[in-house]
Amino acid sequence: MGLVTPSSANENQEQKPLVPRVDDLDGKRIGLYDNGKPAAEPLLTAVQEKLSARYPDATFDWYHVAHLNYIKNEDEQEAVREWAKDVDVAIGAIGDCGSCTKFLTWGIEFIEDAGTAGVGLIDEGFELDYQSNSIERGRPLRYKKTPVRCETTDLERVREEVTEDVIDGIVDELTRPLSEKERADPIPQ
Amino acid sequence: MSKQSQEEQSLEEINRSLYRDGMTDGLPVIPPTEERVEEMLRGTDYDRDHVLGVLGNNENPLTVEALAANAVMAGCVPPYMPVLEAGARALADPDANAIQFSVSTGSWAYQWIVNGPVREKLNIECSSGAFGPSYHANQTIARALGIAYRNTAKIYPGEKDMGVMGNPFKFSFLAGENEEMSPWEPYHVTHGLDADDSAISLAGPNGWVQWFPSENTAENVLRGMIDNTPPSMRARSSDGINATILHAFNPYNAEEVEKAGMSKQEVKQYLVDNSYQTTDGFSEPRGSYDKVPPRQVRQYYDTDAVKIACIGGPGRVSAIVGTSIGGPVTKKIELPNNFDDLAEEYAIEENWVPTEGFYD
Repeated sequence: MGLVTPSSANENQEQKPLVPRVDDLDGKRIGLYDNGKPAAEPLLTAVQEKLSARYPDATFDWYHVAHLNYIKNEDEQEAVREWAKDVDVAIGAIGDCGSCTKFLTWGIEFIEDAGTAGVGLIDEGFELDYQSNSIERGRPLRYKKTPVRCETTDLERVREEVTEDVIDGIVDELTRPLSEKERADPIPQ
Repeated sequence: MSKQSQEEQSLEEINRSLYRDGMTDGLPVIPPTEERVEEMLRGTDYDRDHVLGVLGNNENPLTVEALAANAVMAGCVPPYMPVLEAGARALADPDANAIQFSVSTGSWAYQWIVNGPVREKLNIECSSGAFGPSYHANQTIARALGIAYRNTAKIYPGEKDMGVMGNPFKFSFLAGENEEMSPWEPYHVTHGLDADDSAISLAGPNGWVQWFPSENTAENVLRGMIDNTPPSMRARSSDGINATILHAFNPYNAEEVEKAGMSKQEVKQYLVDNSYQTTDGFSEPRGSYDKVPPRQVRQYYDTDAVKIACIGGPGRVSAIVGTSIGGPVTKKIELPNNFDDLAEEYAIEENWVPTEGFYD
């Protein structure tokens, strides 16, 4: 006599491709997606300051989710997609707790749905969380770990911790060409 | 999962296999063999493929059969199935917010209160030590619902369940309400059901405090409810926030407050009216302010955010359970046609402290 599985069945979810990256951020319209966590805005503010110094011709366009949970609403999700259509790339923050990391992957997915390359900024302790939520959404959504510890809202401290190396990493995630897996190329027959 | 027979695999091997696949809570489980699951399904009138609800990010379906398999693993017996089914429906209710409190860094627990005639039929403890270990139904029902959620939603500590500390209550936080000793209407009646109904209610708190008044008087009890609520616990159910605190009254404290002529609603109003905290303490006031931040805020913001149940046995000690970020949601327990016979068949008469013959 066999065992009855106590878990839900694994659906073989088809992997979806990521949106192709851009060649360069110079002159681009860069979206800053705040997922409603208090620590998101200071982190994105520091990132914007460093990016605008590096790319003086780039422009920035913010989207603020008023409260973390609002992204569960379909109207909010559609609004993110509409917003993302008008930017060339988007940087989302923040993944620094269980709920907000989950909801950050949702936001980055909606950005990718709009045809815009996205990257999520996370606390390094939440890497597996971001990855597993991305797997469930069927996309290897890109992310950049930052040294900013979770739930830090002190802008001065965040500015110090968002180094040029962090910016290099963000730029890399938005410009590095997609791998075969990220393109979700069909397996050659 | 391997289809190897139980005869071919030892109990230890099956437990290792289930643990490796993330399907247990770390404690040994009873292997969910087809035979045992079949027996567990005697406790339901539903078809085994009936979907009780969907759980987790991907809205994975929880079927009656999968719930029964988890029930077997947790040590449940067939007449617990209707309680488990109602619990599963509570977990799947969006108002329970189970998905969020299952993954949050706050390490929230699945906290259950059972009401109605089913408590006596299944020997669900409501009196001394109700929230503690020892009671078969209390412990195994909570455990089964906990691992059923995990196995359906597929969340694991450090992966999607990012609870920093974890919570020792997580899969074991269940008690019946001591309706017989309560001076007030039962918890499930406050939440919309009839007194004759059996029900299970789910909330998502991450802490609890036990406390007692210096004297068992209404005034001391009421003041103690506020004084012993930690600053980190806040109750508010408005403006998109659902943060509730449960006061689990022991029957003696409840009796004193009721004798003072106070209804449940009046107790709640007392907390709202008298729970002002200064804002220069440990916690910053929530919300943003255009001008000068307030010097005081209410710890209990509104009466809807205060929940009251009568739980536990004789003594002065009550408990504060909170802050919950989910529910509470209350679901009626629908009993199968054979419930009474099944409950009788599986009943265990506790004989922990034999007194027969000593005082006759």
